[in-house]
Amino acid sequence: MQDFTNETLDIDALPKYEEVALNALSRKYWKVVLLNISIFLFILAAAIATILLLVEELRPYLYLFTGIYLLFSILLITLYRASIKRIGYAIREKDLIYKSGIISISTSIIPFTRIQHITLNEGIFSRMFQLGALHVFTAGGISGSITIPGLDINLAKTIKEELNRQLAKVD
Amino acid sequence: MGTDFSEPKRQSAAGVAVMFADHLQRSIRVLVFPIILVLVRAKGMNHWYLIAGFLVFLFILIIYSYLSYLRFSFFLDEEKQEFVIQKGVLSKEHISIRLDKIQQVNINQSLIQRIIGVYSLDIDTAGSDKKEASIKAIDHHTATILRERLLNRDTPGTTTEKSTDGQGPNPEPLLKLSTTTLLKVGLTSNYGASVALLMGFIFAIMEMLKNYTEAFQLEENPIKALSTEGLNLISIGVLLFFALLIILGTNILRNFIKYFDFEVIKKKAVLAITSGLFEKKHTLLKPARVQISSYSQNYFQKKLDLMNMKFKQASFDSADEDDKDNKKHDIEIPGCDENERDELLKMIFECIPPKNSTFIPNYRFLFLTIMLKVVIPISFFLLIGSVLVHLRPYFWWIIPYTILVVIMLYFEFAHHRLYLSENFIIKKSGIWDVEHQIMEPHKIQGITTKQYFWHKKANIGHLVLHTAAGTIHFKYGNYAEIHRMANYWLYYIESGKKDWM
Repeated sequence: MQDFTNETLDIDALPKYEEVALNALSRKYWKVVLLNISIFLFILAAAIATILLLVEELRPYLYLFTGIYLLFSILLITLYRASIKRIGYAIREKDLIYKSGIISISTSIIPFTRIQHITLNEGIFSRMFQLGALHVFTAGGISGSITIPGLDINLAKTIKEELNRQLAKVD
Repeated sequence: MGTDFSEPKRQSAAGVAVMFADHLQRSIRVLVFPIILVLVRAKGMNHWYLIAGFLVFLFILIIYSYLSYLRFSFFLDEEKQEFVIQKGVLSKEHISIRLDKIQQVNINQSLIQRIIGVYSLDIDTAGSDKKEASIKAIDHHTATILRERLLNRDTPGTTTEKSTDGQGPNPEPLLKLSTTTLLKVGLTSNYGASVALLMGFIFAIMEMLKNYTEAFQLEENPIKALSTEGLNLISIGVLLFFALLIILGTNILRNFIKYFDFEVIKKKAVLAITSGLFEKKHTLLKPARVQISSYSQNYFQKKLDLMNMKFKQASFDSADEDDKDNKKHDIEIPGCDENERDELLKMIFECIPPKNSTFIPNYRFLFLTIMLKVVIPISFFLLIGSVLVHLRPYFWWIIPYTILVVIMLYFEFAHHRLYLSENFIIKKSGIWDVEHQIMEPHKIQGITTKQYFWHKKANIGHLVLHTAAGTIHFKYGNYAEIHRMANYWLYYIESGKKDWM
């Protein structure tokens, strides 16, 4: 960034978003995800079983189907596990940071002044574990918004209130 | 109508006619199939019944139009800073629009309105509430004053002086498209749209010919004969020549209809844009509302010193899908030269955005795209070809395909640039049409940085800037530099008081 600077401003001295220590999601969130995955896997198993029952020619391949199914389940669970471990968020004085992804690791930052509105979602399973998902919307549409899943419901409410307070201050 | 908008007002009395035409058009569109059905079935019936029915229908429509004219009122609530529209015959509708949410006010004139001599005023808001607010019949004088009042809410005093010069001598236009410029624009741009139009046309004609030959039980279908006898080179050449001629012709025609008499006038802090051959369009553009300004140019246009400009405004539907047809909020300037572009940029940004430092993507930019667009499709083709023997004679197609795609990808890579200065972000991209997108850092809504895990060592990453008018991507940049940019822009947004709208 050769002549980008304005001399008085040293860009390297600015706060660095990439070095902020991030918070992990609530540990209970893994249980919610596991519940969701197991329901999906159960439905899948039921579908395969019905097909096998109805189509007799496929029955000799029972072991093949079971093998693929098990492999798929293990892969799904490990991938989800890894991706949840990678999720991190941080709230700075003036913006919100959210990092996620296994193959492509992406970090999004939304300054408080650009937030349009905030919603707090509680799914059925999330409610069972007192968790909630925080959606932060900007005028940049869906791609420009952030969703933080698996927050402790009390923490999520506090964050929402705090952000709303910040919004009111800006206005 | 006066110029006091604080009391509820009706539309021009001629509005009844406009509303009638509007309702008639709409009900015909809905009822066209039932009517045809009735006409076909009613062969034996007395025609007088039909005519009587039609007259009753018209009468009801007239009464309905008159009622909706009576019930339609609008006013400006100075205290709450709101513009209120009330309408509805059977159910009452109350639309209130906050003045600071209005981003554009258009005065348009359709053919019917032109005959009657009124205009329509459409209010374009930036907000998730997609309520369409429009006044269908208003005279030009009132419309211009109301528009000024809606847009310049901070300076209510200026409207009176404005009303005196009203339609008087207009200031010298900033930009005026001559017929020759329009011709040049038609010759050099927007091939895609015209090709699509032409294709639709050709298919329609072919379908018609088919029906025609079937109806008259002709032995020879000209199209069928063509396809069975095979086309020789000369006839292909002639056909291509005519296709090209027609494409250029439709292009020119389309441009003339849309941009006839195109004019940009600088009025205080806003740009007034008018254009159109049949339907006159008047648009007021507030520079502060523009999110992304862009200009693009292809090889031919470069030789002619001609370019196309676009001003993108906030829109909640198109922020996600930037290349969909959702261009309602975009304001396009079909043709201008370098000087005019600089004048317009000065209008928007108060200076010509400088390109202080240049950022070039890493050569790995080419790897993935070549993999996706050359290696994978070709290996797929070879794989299928190894099974289906009759595909093998076409294997040589791979060579021209590869050459063409690699050249295109190379140009895409060579044009992918990011230019930065303290207060501007300029992104250059494109293969044939090279586009420069210009934005100011305070229009950023959010920043996303991305990295594939295998690029960690190479220190390469991607940058996505989210704005209210779509996103700007810079791919395969130096990740350390991207971090620095992001930190600078965050500082710029968070320390400054500049609002994005």
